[in-house]
Amino acid sequence: MSEPSGITLRIVPGPAERDPAAHARRIRIEERLLSIATPAVFLLVWEIAGQTGLLPSRFFPPPSRIALSAWAMARSGELQADLIASILRILAGFALGVATGICAGLALGLSRRAHAAFDPFLSALYTVPKLALLPLLLLIFGLGELPNVLLVGMTVFFLVWITCMEAVMTIPNAYREAARSFGAGRWQMFAHVIWPAMLPQLFVAMRLSIGTAVLVIVGIEFVQADVGIGHRIWHSWSLFQAERMYVGICAVALLGYVFATIVRGIARIAVPWAKLRHGRSG
Amino acid sequence: MSPPLKIHVDGVTKTYHARRTVQALLRIDLKIIEGQFVCLLGPSGCGKSTLLRMIGGLDHPSGGEIVINARSARAVPTATVFQSYNVFPWKTILGNVRFGLEMHGASRREADVTARKWLARMGLTDFADAYPPSLSGGMLQRVAIARALAVEPEILLMDEPFAALDAQHRRIMQEELLALWQEDRRTVVFVTHSLEEAVLLGDRIVVMSARPGRVLREFDVPFDRPRRAEIRTDPRFAALEGEIWDLLKSEVDRAPEGEAA
Ligand SMILES: Nc1ncnc2c1ncn2[C@@H]1O[C@H](COP(=O)(O)OP(=O)(O)O)[C@@H](O)[C@H]1O
Ligand SMILES: [Mg+2]
Repeated sequence: MSEPSGITLRIVPGPAERDPAAHARRIRIEERLLSIATPAVFLLVWEIAGQTGLLPSRFFPPPSRIALSAWAMARSGELQADLIASILRILAGFALGVATGICAGLALGLSRRAHAAFDPFLSALYTVPKLALLPLLLLIFGLGELPNVLLVGMTVFFLVWITCMEAVMTIPNAYREAARSFGAGRWQMFAHVIWPAMLPQLFVAMRLSIGTAVLVIVGIEFVQADVGIGHRIWHSWSLFQAERMYVGICAVALLGYVFATIVRGIARIAVPWAKLRHGRSG
Repeated sequence: MSPPLKIHVDGVTKTYHARRTVQALLRIDLKIIEGQFVCLLGPSGCGKSTLLRMIGGLDHPSGGEIVINARSARAVPTATVFQSYNVFPWKTILGNVRFGLEMHGASRREADVTARKWLARMGLTDFADAYPPSLSGGMLQRVAIARALAVEPEILLMDEPFAALDAQHRRIMQEELLALWQEDRRTVVFVTHSLEEAVLLGDRIVVMSARPGRVLREFDVPFDRPRRAEIRTDPRFAALEGEIWDLLKSEVDRAPEGEAA
């Protein structure tokens, strides 16, 4: 042990403690600025590199030219037509997949017999890459919209089915028993226990599968469509129109983001208890 | 005239056939009269929960029978408060308390009025619209008790309802239950592993053996009603606790290892 060296340590309130509100606000503003600054700097560097010829503009046209191209495509109505075509296909397929997925998940999660009969079969089908089935669907149903919608539906179905089935099967027995002890019948058990217990996971599955639905529709439109964002990207490549290709890519990215945000928003309203699960707010 | 017989457990045996055969209960005989507060004590794994679940109609005996004498066909025979807080996380506190009433056919408005009355009685009014994950364990168990009492069951079944609470909350809840019960004196079967809790609350204490569970002995609790928590300091309180413990401790030693409650 050495002698006391004469240094006094003082543990005192820091800036965060002296004015917590201002501190929290500063952190919020800082994070908001950073989240905007990063893409802004990225676009700026790209723009400059493109303008000065540092980047070959045949492959990487500067953002300003992409924006102009988007504007032209919107003026001609082309962009809207592509967006609407893709959105309708996604929504139709998504609705089909979610509806059938919920039904299958409930059936296999609740009925021992249905589970025994269909689980191995569906599990085996799950591993088939859905895009590989497109030619088969085209062969059977021809060149209309049906194969597109079916393929998106199948992709969504499997994600929703598995998630719902697992959710139903892992509902703690204590909840069912509590309901039974108050004399709940089958329908009441479903409405008051099974469905609400499954709902949070259903929304997770929907968020995941809407992204996959966008992916699949772009894949389909590459090969089988004369309108749609995927078609636009593919077609622009074959004409060597890089700007239009970028417009398509940005539109798809935005589409996925908007869909996921909408699902999240609905979940927040439909599952008000779930946000409390992590950490309590005071 | 003595009060009528409410629950008659007549030679009830329960055997589980899971991966291995487990003899949970062996020829249990138990007569519980109306308005009695009966505590079930016994080493863990001796079949207390099993017996309670059968009285509540959630499971069937393998042999023997359980007879419950309900006052009328319309009355709710039993309601159960479980050890785990199986208050539904997806319903608000009010929705949870309303649940049992709705299951028994009350209209939404009736259920609402009754549920709010019970929330007020349990000091939960401020939480009516909150969701369970934001409440503490003690509060949740209050909700579970309100949910059970709201249906005005003829028999209240409680399976270690306070076991998961910290010592202070447990004491508060015991005293609240004591006060609540003394208002209407319905029949209660209360499973606990706390001797103190059993002596404080019960009219009668049934001590069960290690598995397979049998009734080992019964004790009458000598304290008058209405009872106050101060009886904890009464010398007879400690004496009865000691007597029951002498009987129980050899059974606890006999209980199989690694038994989940
Ligand atoms: N559903 C079940 N299937 C198989 N065994 C069970 C089941 N429920 C309880 N048991 C067994 O029955 C015995 C009594 O259990 P339980 O009634 O929960 O005891 P206690 O509540 O007194 O601790 C234990 O050995 C337990 O493992
Ligand atoms: Mg138990």
